[in-house]
Amino acid sequence: MSRKGSDKVIVVRNLNFYYDSGHVLKNINLEIEKNVVTALIGPSGCGKTTLLRVFNKMYKFVDKARVEGEVIFDGKNILDDNSIDDFELRSRVGMVFQKPNPFYLSIYENVAFGPRLRGIKKKSVLDEIVEKSLRAAGIWDEVKDRLHKPATSLSGGQQQRVCIARALAVEPEVILMDEPTSALDPISSAKIEELIVELSKNYTYTVVIVTHNMQQASRISDYTGFLLMGELIEFDKTEKIFTSPSDKRTEDYITGRFG
Amino acid sequence: MGLRSYWESIKIRYKIGDFLTYFLLAVSVILIVGFFAIILAVIFLGGYERVTWEFLTQAPEHGMTEGGIFPAIIGTVLLVIVTTIFSVPLGIITAIYLVEYGNKESAFYKFVNGSINLLASIPTIVIGMFGLAFFVVYIGGMIDNTFYGGKLTWGKPALIWAGLTMGLVSLPVVVSSVREALEAVPESLKEASFALGATKMETILKVILPRAFTGVLTGTILGVSRSTGEVAPVLFTGAAYFLPYLPSSLTDQFMELGYHIYVMATQSVDVDATLPIQFATTLVLLSITFILNVLAIIVRRRLRRELYV
Repeated sequence: MSRKGSDKVIVVRNLNFYYDSGHVLKNINLEIEKNVVTALIGPSGCGKTTLLRVFNKMYKFVDKARVEGEVIFDGKNILDDNSIDDFELRSRVGMVFQKPNPFYLSIYENVAFGPRLRGIKKKSVLDEIVEKSLRAAGIWDEVKDRLHKPATSLSGGQQQRVCIARALAVEPEVILMDEPTSALDPISSAKIEELIVELSKNYTYTVVIVTHNMQQASRISDYTGFLLMGELIEFDKTEKIFTSPSDKRTEDYITGRFG
Repeated sequence: MGLRSYWESIKIRYKIGDFLTYFLLAVSVILIVGFFAIILAVIFLGGYERVTWEFLTQAPEHGMTEGGIFPAIIGTVLLVIVTTIFSVPLGIITAIYLVEYGNKESAFYKFVNGSINLLASIPTIVIGMFGLAFFVVYIGGMIDNTFYGGKLTWGKPALIWAGLTMGLVSLPVVVSSVREALEAVPESLKEASFALGATKMETILKVILPRAFTGVLTGTILGVSRSTGEVAPVLFTGAAYFLPYLPSSLTDQFMELGYHIYVMATQSVDVDATLPIQFATTLVLLSITFILNVLAIIVRRRLRRELYV
């Protein structure tokens, strides 16, 4: 636990995000600690998913999106297209989505997709990466005998863990998760939550997770940010946010008075 | 008039309306199904006795009043191959542009999109005339003048020009079905690919096309089946009345099933004597188109199943 708070992996400064004519994120400032789980909570439309998608620049696929400010990752402002290319950024900042979205390929090929993009062709190397990633995602034992079956034949929870393995296979430092359990049943969700904690504790990944579910945020995260209508209202240790929030609006939200 | 009788009158109006609607629908359905059945029955009864192994493997004889349709089948197959080689890659690339690259607001996108729609609505005889003027006379003539010192080699109706002209007919069919298949690929898969650092090209080649493969195949088959049934595009560009030999190069003319039927029905020495052969040829042509369409339906059904996994 001593390493906690030692390092900032992502630093956001004066971030503004516009979509078409809407001002989606308003002057966001925040620092994401290394090797911990940071949760972003807030009501629908508060901008938490947009913020998450700034960290790996997935917003670039949205028409009419415009962004201002700085997002410092590894000493570079990633919003500056010349400082780091998308390929490198997305190698180092992986993403898991709301709905499990495995490719229509075998389990093996799903996980090997990222490494193959990086030019790894040798079967023995790929085998090793696939096994390691599936183990880290806690699904190796369930799928090791059916690696060459389509990933879509698995249950939703298993698919999501294959997707996590797929993200892990390129060895990112940060993993962004966009409501990764909202499409899953409670048991699968619990497994994914366990996995998220394990990834940060035992595998030293940094996880940033967007969630609708406040219990989930309080269970698994070390830090929590509360967003409301594009503003970061409060960002602090999860414990503090859920026991003695300093802002009235945060308190109202976590006690369920709105949202 | 009391309220009650007012409602009664409305009820009666509704009943009459209902009856008329059903009546018109029933008549339309009976007409459509009836005509379809009659056409099929006439062709089948008129031709099935002549469709034998010999008929499929022999050349026409005695001014087309006897023998088979082998050269026309071969010619049709060759035509389809040339058409496919031309229209399928071009159609797939166009569809990829329209779905994945084109900015829907841009003038160029609207131009391409409009051209494809327009191409689909041009009468095939006009496309045939265009093929004659552009491919045969202009392009062919240019090749002859440039490389053959004016000697007539490419500047005449030939398999390649007929294939290209027919390609223009099947192109819109290929584009629109491939497009549909590409659009059916969920956005979430593209995002997953981008999030792993894949470029747009890599995403198209490794995620979108494999996923859309069955749909692309369906589009190809539909486009091809469309072109097997057409006559007008090859009328001036390559189809021959009768050839004693099979085509052996792209510059040869060829016999074609649809055109063969037309020739037998209008220009043969003894039209009445060729009647059974006409029916049999039509039956063969219909069967080929039918089989191709069934194939497309089977492939499409598989695609649908995969999408709901």
